[in-house]
Amino acid sequence: MKPIFKLAAAAVAAAVTAGAVSAESIYVPNLSYRTGPFASTGIPLMNGQKDYFTMLNARDGGIGGVEIEFAECETGYSTEKGVECYEKTKGEAVVTQPWSTGITLQVLPKTNVDKIPVLAPGYGFSPMADGKVFQWAFNAPASYWDGASMILKYLSGGDANALKGKKIAFLHLDHPYGKEPIPFLQQEAAKMGFELLLIPVGLKEMQNQSAQWLQIRRERPDNVIMWGWGAMNAGAITEAVKTKYPMENFIGVWWAGHSADLAIVGERGTGYKSISWSKPVADAAVWADIQEHVVAPGLTVSSEEERKGVFYSRGLVMSVILAEGIAAAQKEFGTGKINAEQMRWGLENVNLSDARLAELGMTGMVPPFATSCSDHTGHSGAWMLEWNGSEFVQASDHITPDRDAILPLETAKAAEYAAANAPWPVNEACGN
Amino acid sequence: MLQDIFINPFKDMIEAPDFLMQVLWEGLVSGILYALIAMGFVLIYRSSRIFNFAQGIMVVFAALTLVWLHEIGVPAWISLVLTLGVMYVLAFGIERVVLRPLVGQPDIILFMATIGVTLFLIGGGEIIFGGENKVMITEELGIPTGSFEFEPFGGFLILEQKDITAVVVAAILVVGLLAFLNMTRMGRAIRALGDDHQAAFSVGISLSQIWVLVWFIAGIIALVTGIAWGARAGVSFALEVIAYKALPVLMLGGLESIAGAIIGGLMIGMMEKVFEIYWGQPLMGGNTETWFAFVLALLVLLFRPQGLFGEKIIERV
Amino acid sequence: MFFRTVGQFKTSYRKDQALFPVRQDAVLLWVILLFAWVVFPFTASEFTFQTLLIPILIYSLAAIGLNILTGYAGQLSLGTAAFMGVGAYACYKMITLMPWMNPIVAILLSGVFSAGIGVAFGIPSLRIKGFYLAIATLAAQFFLVWLFEKWAWLYNYNASGAIQVPNLKSMGVYVAGPQASSIVQYYVVLGVVTFLTIVVINLTRGNLGRTWKATRDMDIAADLIGVNLMKSKLTAFAVSSFIVGVAGALFVFMWRGAAEPNLFDIPLSFRILFIAIIGGLGSILGNYLGAILIVGLPVVLNTVPEALGLPISSATVEHLNIMIVGSLIVFFLIIEPHGLNQLWRLIREKLITWPFPH
Repeated sequence: MKPIFKLAAAAVAAAVTAGAVSAESIYVPNLSYRTGPFASTGIPLMNGQKDYFTMLNARDGGIGGVEIEFAECETGYSTEKGVECYEKTKGEAVVTQPWSTGITLQVLPKTNVDKIPVLAPGYGFSPMADGKVFQWAFNAPASYWDGASMILKYLSGGDANALKGKKIAFLHLDHPYGKEPIPFLQQEAAKMGFELLLIPVGLKEMQNQSAQWLQIRRERPDNVIMWGWGAMNAGAITEAVKTKYPMENFIGVWWAGHSADLAIVGERGTGYKSISWSKPVADAAVWADIQEHVVAPGLTVSSEEERKGVFYSRGLVMSVILAEGIAAAQKEFGTGKINAEQMRWGLENVNLSDARLAELGMTGMVPPFATSCSDHTGHSGAWMLEWNGSEFVQASDHITPDRDAILPLETAKAAEYAAANAPWPVNEACGN
Repeated sequence: MLQDIFINPFKDMIEAPDFLMQVLWEGLVSGILYALIAMGFVLIYRSSRIFNFAQGIMVVFAALTLVWLHEIGVPAWISLVLTLGVMYVLAFGIERVVLRPLVGQPDIILFMATIGVTLFLIGGGEIIFGGENKVMITEELGIPTGSFEFEPFGGFLILEQKDITAVVVAAILVVGLLAFLNMTRMGRAIRALGDDHQAAFSVGISLSQIWVLVWFIAGIIALVTGIAWGARAGVSFALEVIAYKALPVLMLGGLESIAGAIIGGLMIGMMEKVFEIYWGQPLMGGNTETWFAFVLALLVLLFRPQGLFGEKIIERV
Repeated sequence: MFFRTVGQFKTSYRKDQALFPVRQDAVLLWVILLFAWVVFPFTASEFTFQTLLIPILIYSLAAIGLNILTGYAGQLSLGTAAFMGVGAYACYKMITLMPWMNPIVAILLSGVFSAGIGVAFGIPSLRIKGFYLAIATLAAQFFLVWLFEKWAWLYNYNASGAIQVPNLKSMGVYVAGPQASSIVQYYVVLGVVTFLTIVVINLTRGNLGRTWKATRDMDIAADLIGVNLMKSKLTAFAVSSFIVGVAGALFVFMWRGAAEPNLFDIPLSFRILFIAIIGGLGSILGNYLGAILIVGLPVVLNTVPEALGLPISSATVEHLNIMIVGSLIVFFLIIEPHGLNQLWRLIREKLITWPFPH
């Protein structure tokens, strides 16, 4: 009769079923998005992530003999939904992959209390590199400040004075993701003497950026750096082509270098660049395994076109980082089914050396790097990829971030964060 | 400070007149598209006093259906016809399931019902079509995709051909609609229904027939808007948000006037663009387009509560 | 049989005007209060707190606020979420500028700020009516969300633009932030919501409530008999925005723990509006019933397929949820435009006579 009783019953049922996970498997949730305006950029990455684990489960029976249960929880890139998904999955999960800087930031303070590691490869809060303060957060292999630094290094050609007097427009998504590198960019603008023009694109304006590109046309910046995601990428690139902005001056971060977005403009997008810590290598050995264990049995939802692109390969790399973390933890603690605390240790001891990459069949897909107790990023460095009209190709040698410029800001911001979120336990065991 | 607000923007405008023309053109195009959506609202409101919140989602739905049909292999023009058919079925369904049981209810109830319909179509649309962005089949429909470049005042001005097509088609649609409403029997029936349901009944005008017709016409308008806007900005559920922009247009132009919708749309489109470029970006950090239209309409309403062209509200106690 | 009102005589005017003159109603209320205050807190899991109990209470409060404005005073408002945001940001600024303040006091004070903003945006209601007013409230909605994003002072110049709730203590116990336990937060929310509900019930049953209803039903006639329309409308906006602001502060501080500006966007406004409408415009109980439905539905939808073993992706569940809410709105509007509250009244009427037909 009373709706409350029915709801209480439903609540009890929910609480019971929420905890049901199979016994001998490691539960790895992915807070993914396959719908909404960000799905176009999310889907290839999440497919890559999922397929790698499917391959491991099929080929090796999982990692260390334990199957990996790679579940997805749909967030639609909404921070609200993301936090809900986190709350729902944190019971059984050994790691959380928030897939949005906004969600990462909101989940970050809870991880100390809930004791689950957050894996945010190439996104999240840049000071998470400081493993002492952020013992439960990892953003291997490169942080956004690394990325910004590398882009600036590429533009200046290594000469600190080359950018003096220039005007650089920072076209970014008006979201924590887009705003994340701003403190570092402002620091570098003051230091190197260039004018930083901040141009935000609201979530509702991603597909109608005429105002922003009119502004760019008026300001005539020397370069446009884009921190775009989802529909914003395609919107920006089509507007740039439409207003005839010289593509070779247009550089995007790794999330703004999606093959399908550039395919819309094809030849007219030639010259667009994107800094990327992952590279599609067509003849890497891992493709044979993917083909045999995932594509042939029809266990993937990706298309062949998608698999050739930058993002799918990146998804594979991201899963490799997680897999290496799991393997390292299993070896250290001598157990197959690791828990969250052990996962944290594992992620702190990822060592993707050249030799290991060759073993995995992924040589050249990511620069070698290693994480440690105090360094939760690894700072792998990246390559500049350039669109040649039909695909992204490597356009520069390996670039490394200017750690001297980044480190003081990282430490300062990390300490600020810890103070604002007191009591904040710090991992003293990290020495450093 | 005062100089920034009152002098510099105009200085900028005069210094770069080609840029000003580009801004005005962009504003004009978006204004036309807002006006189209507003026309759909006006049509339905005039005939049934229902504020059809679902107009926005109808735009998206029409565009998605068109693109989906083409994706599964149906040739472009046949997809267009089939989409019109789908919109007709939708109109029929909405009238039968939602409107008929609610005849005579106060306006706010009907408004809520259309919000319910909107949600239903959003959820259903996402399940049927998927939520990612799609590309409008501009070329296949014969819409030219190049651009004209002019060089007035030594600068440059780019007019996209698909925008010009949108403006021309919108103009044809408006003229056609006005002619239909004023010069045909059906049109007169629609207007009669809007004035007084009971009286219209008593002279033999069929309520449900007219309502289906009206919603179908609104569906056609939605399809045209969907094509025009989708060609500009891709097809996805984010388009639905653009429908919100039609609301200030309605406020400005009045809920009953088609001419008001057009003029309101053009005004809002151009003014919001000019404001954003010359005042919003330099002084306020940009992104003012989200609220400028609403605040403008609000200010106008404070002086003319029925909008610029709306019917004077006569209340009886 | 259960609701026999026969034999219950009132012997004084005071007793006759009681809130629940029928004894069974009062008993029912006591049972519900017992469950809310005693049974649930000690038997519910963390999951239940976070997904059901706390959000239902917060959404009910916000809906009560909206109901005062739209249901009692007849001013349709689509900007509820923005006023919730004002409350949340006001609370955040107070907490960070005056860390010595008790968080619960801060939450209640934040309503004052949103009341002020509410009155400011309510001034157009003196000239504009009906749908036009609804669209005008959208001006408030969009402008305020833009302000939350642009005015960096509001979020203490935080690089991400989001506000994060720090660990806050009240009387030695953590009430907010990641360290706070759900049960403490539940009690805080329950306390605030109960207190404000009592206040609102008294307001709506009193002179002010009658003034609002007169404004809603026939404002020109009310004006003619001497009801001060300006006072009526502006107090409606003030009280409504106060409650909505407090709900917003609770939303962020006692439940979410953090907020981005676009949290307070149109979808939240609509969600509150649906709760108010499905629950029943012009009632208090309806808001609770509506909140239970709207909050509980996705939870049920999420767990039923799992329990039945059907493999549905969480994305599809999300979309189905939206579709079902939409259909429910239409359904309720067709069969009972006055919402769940009216449905409850009808059931109650039937129960009074059951098992007899008359």
